[in-house]
Amino acid sequence: MRDKIQDAFQQVRATEQMKRSVSDYLIQEMGKKKKRSGVVILKPVFAVLLLCFVLGGWYYWEKPVSYVSVDVNPSIELTLNGMNYVVRAESRNKDGERVLRHLQLKGKSYLKAVELLLESKALQRYLTDDADLTFTVASPREEELLSELKGSAATMQHHGTCVGADLDNVASAHSHGMSLGKYQIYQMLSQYDADFTAEECQHMTMCQLYQMLSWYESGQDSSEEENQSGSGCSHEGGHYHENHNHHHK
Amino acid sequence: MRSEQEAKRVVELYADMVRRICLLHLKNHADTEDVLQEVFLKYILHSVAFESEEHEKAWLIRVTINACKDLKKSLFRRYTVPLDVLSQEAASVMPVQLGVLEAVLSLPQKYKDPIYLHYYEGYTAREIGEMLHKKENTVYSLLSRGRELLKQKLGGDGIA
Repeated sequence: MRDKIQDAFQQVRATEQMKRSVSDYLIQEMGKKKKRSGVVILKPVFAVLLLCFVLGGWYYWEKPVSYVSVDVNPSIELTLNGMNYVVRAESRNKDGERVLRHLQLKGKSYLKAVELLLESKALQRYLTDDADLTFTVASPREEELLSELKGSAATMQHHGTCVGADLDNVASAHSHGMSLGKYQIYQMLSQYDADFTAEECQHMTMCQLYQMLSWYESGQDSSEEENQSGSGCSHEGGHYHENHNHHHK
Repeated sequence: MRSEQEAKRVVELYADMVRRICLLHLKNHADTEDVLQEVFLKYILHSVAFESEEHEKAWLIRVTINACKDLKKSLFRRYTVPLDVLSQEAASVMPVQLGVLEAVLSLPQKYKDPIYLHYYEGYTAREIGEMLHKKENTVYSLLSRGRELLKQKLGGDGIA
């Protein structure tokens, strides 16, 4: 039986036309699969690239590059990204806290943020005629930022002083619980009076600090200073008098 | 995915076998061509390496039988033209051989695969059992009964 079945089935073959048709079909399908597999391989690559792009963009956006502190008595510090947009707006004292309470500065360009700050009612009450408004900039692009700030309408209107600071001072200022602007003056005052503490400095307005500095620089003695304490500086927002008297022995 | 060369090799080597298995299950050439395409497409997409040629062949047999069964399950197919599938061979095959083919193809479906695999491909009952997912003893019974039926159909003219 085996031989007969084998002989019979031996006659059954796939025709050349069948083989050709199958081969053509396979080649066609393989071409399609290759194209598809190319896309399948590229999909994760695109996904990774997109993720890198998104993460890179996010990192670039969030990475702190520059710091601008705005000090009157309220001390506010703006942290800027590489595109000079505000990524953080923080108060460095209680008055600063009050000013920032109703302001949304994050995501705005620093010039717009400064404009909003200076126009806010909360800060306006501190911007009296005798107030000292100081902008302190620590940035790899310090000159550019200072120049823009000096030229801004808001700064000019309020006679703001624009000064530069070393980027290394940012961390030190924060460790002393101060804004960059106040910390700069604190460093200068410390040179004249080693007993002058950061806590005392925190409680004084910029006007008072500048006045104190000018006394030291002009060589006036403490008695004169005592008589003039607080003169020319309004009381807004500070506890200057009690602390000042405590400080100047 | 396998290479174009591999695809050509396997078509050349196994197209006849696939065609014969189709003959046991299908009744027209269009379906046979569909199964041929499906089986070899599955082969080129099958990424697991075969241990040997025997392993490769057994895999193709199993895939072909399954493809034929799946095709037959299709609700839209009708098998109203018996033995049309042999029309191609009718002109070239000797009457005796054609008679044997017709006798095998007229067997109930359950006997056809074991008879073909045993008498033409030379597989043992155990191997056939593994391919068809049947017990070895069941395969023996199917072979025995199929052989009896064939003898009856062919008039016992020396088939045993």
